[in-house]
Amino acid sequence: MDGFSYSDIFATKGIEYLIIITFLILLVPFWLVLNKQKQISSTIQKALGFLSASILKIPQGLFYSRNHTWMHMEKSGTAKVGVDDLLLHITGAVKFKIHKNPGDEIKKGDLLTEIDQNGKLLRILSPVSGKITNINSTINENPSMLNEDPYGKGWIYKIKPSNWVAETKTCYFAEEATNWSAAELERFKDFLAVSMKNYAPEPSMVILQDGGELCDHSLSALPKEIWRDFEEEFLDLNRL
Amino acid sequence: MNNNQQIVLDNDGKSIWKFLAGELKPRGKWFTPFNIISVPIILLGLALIVIRFWKGLGEVSNVTQEVPWGLWKGFNVVTGVAFAGGAYVLTFMVYIMNMRKYHSIIRVTVLNGFLAYAFYAGALVLDLGRPWHIFNPIIGNSFGASSVLFLVAWHFLLYMVAQLIEFSPTIAEWLGARRAHKILSGMTMAAVIFGITLSMLHQSGLGALFLMAKEKIHPLWYNEFIPVMFLVSSIFAGLSMVIFEGSISDKVFFDQISNKTKLAQKDIIIGLSKICAGTMFAYFFLQLLVFIHGQHWDLLNTGMGHWFLLEMLGFVLVPMILFFVSYRNNNITMIRIAAILTMIGVIMNRLNVSIIGYRWDAVVRYVPSWMEVIVALTVIFIQIWIFRWVINRMPVLRDSPSWANEHK
Repeated sequence: MDGFSYSDIFATKGIEYLIIITFLILLVPFWLVLNKQKQISSTIQKALGFLSASILKIPQGLFYSRNHTWMHMEKSGTAKVGVDDLLLHITGAVKFKIHKNPGDEIKKGDLLTEIDQNGKLLRILSPVSGKITNINSTINENPSMLNEDPYGKGWIYKIKPSNWVAETKTCYFAEEATNWSAAELERFKDFLAVSMKNYAPEPSMVILQDGGELCDHSLSALPKEIWRDFEEEFLDLNRL
Repeated sequence: MNNNQQIVLDNDGKSIWKFLAGELKPRGKWFTPFNIISVPIILLGLALIVIRFWKGLGEVSNVTQEVPWGLWKGFNVVTGVAFAGGAYVLTFMVYIMNMRKYHSIIRVTVLNGFLAYAFYAGALVLDLGRPWHIFNPIIGNSFGASSVLFLVAWHFLLYMVAQLIEFSPTIAEWLGARRAHKILSGMTMAAVIFGITLSMLHQSGLGALFLMAKEKIHPLWYNEFIPVMFLVSSIFAGLSMVIFEGSISDKVFFDQISNKTKLAQKDIIIGLSKICAGTMFAYFFLQLLVFIHGQHWDLLNTGMGHWFLLEMLGFVLVPMILFFVSYRNNNITMIRIAAILTMIGVIMNRLNVSIIGYRWDAVVRYVPSWMEVIVALTVIFIQIWIFRWVINRMPVLRDSPSWANEHK
């Protein structure tokens, strides 16, 4: 074999090339795993019926008030108002009591609607002042489906706001809303752990205090007293 | 125009000097654990600094003609500047890449970076035999334009100015100076772009200083790619510092941080851990590549070799994996642990290049005297004191006054 010789792999920088190729090959799975894992785990949690921050629907263009209502201003200048995904996940299927009629004036902090689940009530206060122009008459038609579309079919009133800019200033918006919902979920876990101790006959049937996962609709099986406490802690706009 | 009157009222009846004098008074409790530890050290350190300038460098420091760069340069300057890298990475992310999520921590990071540079340039003066010569590359007494130090000196100076401009709107808000605020805010973008360029140049420039010491640095740490390594590692060093510092600020300055910022904090830390994992992954392979290229495997089974492996595996690879895993699990505690490990690793790396691996074969090794250690700590503690003073007075962590957002 004249004219053929083995060359020194170091002299030709062969090893260096191999390392760079290895790096590039490893970079692909590294990057894929780094970015993908979270989507998978949220799908699993959803399938198992766990309630976690990653399954919450939080459209970024809505204003979220501290009492778990949302507002969305339409082109016409009227705002749709409803209750947010987290609240519906916590309560499960509910009906809404409509107390107002089109043409009624409402002030921020007034009673907007009541959530009713077999006689257990939660009072929802209005996040905005203005004049009611429209009522969603189909809201109570399919309560169990409301979770699928809380911000579309789930609007309760349309309100012509009278003090929009000032009243939305304290609301959460875009990624603030995402962060806030996650924090509220944590606060709800703590709340449950405390109030279960006070009222529920069997301790720890819903939640582990060490940060275990919450079940979806965790409030639905719990007694009236806890609903009352929940309303005070999470929905009383005048206190929050 | 209500806001306008409010501001006038705030400073009403007081001249600017009275306002400043009031702000200079100490606030809060005196007997905190941090004060009890830091005050005696600072007093002792200041006394040692007086001795150093009065009697000369040899009285307090163990540096020699052979090893002229001691702890003050190796630790305060070279390591400190790496940790100040968070400022250029974050300003790049927020102002150039428009990642608004990180905006709430930009001011505290820039403040941290600015103070770091100001104090570490100060530490440099301590370590120079003839400190008055530090002005020479600036005033042109002898530019020394062929030296890397010329580059580093100018970059330090210009970068400090750029960071001061980036931070200056905060000072204007504190003083209630509306016109100045408007002008200074307009300069932010230019200062950011200028600052990023300068930082990338001098992070690598600090590494380039060591290229001249080829024969003196242990071959496992010396290679012609030190500038690249210093630049890449400054990214995750700076971000780890941001994570670490943020975790402490969360507790210490709890009342300063607005509610919305608190909620965003977790998200920010998780986002930063992803960037750390990515850059450390690349850095690890760069180190591997350089190691193979240098063909020094025979040195691995020596004392210095084990030390090298500990740095690369224990304090680069392990925290990288921790960042990776905790990013996926949203585990804040683990991210903080990873950040601390990373910081230890960066300190090890910079000290290995500048002190431990420097003249490793000398018969008499350089070991810093206790006085050098005290002075090094003094510089850091004074920096933290000023940091705390600024945060308690200026709108760094808390929201800007409402007038400041009007013309945005």
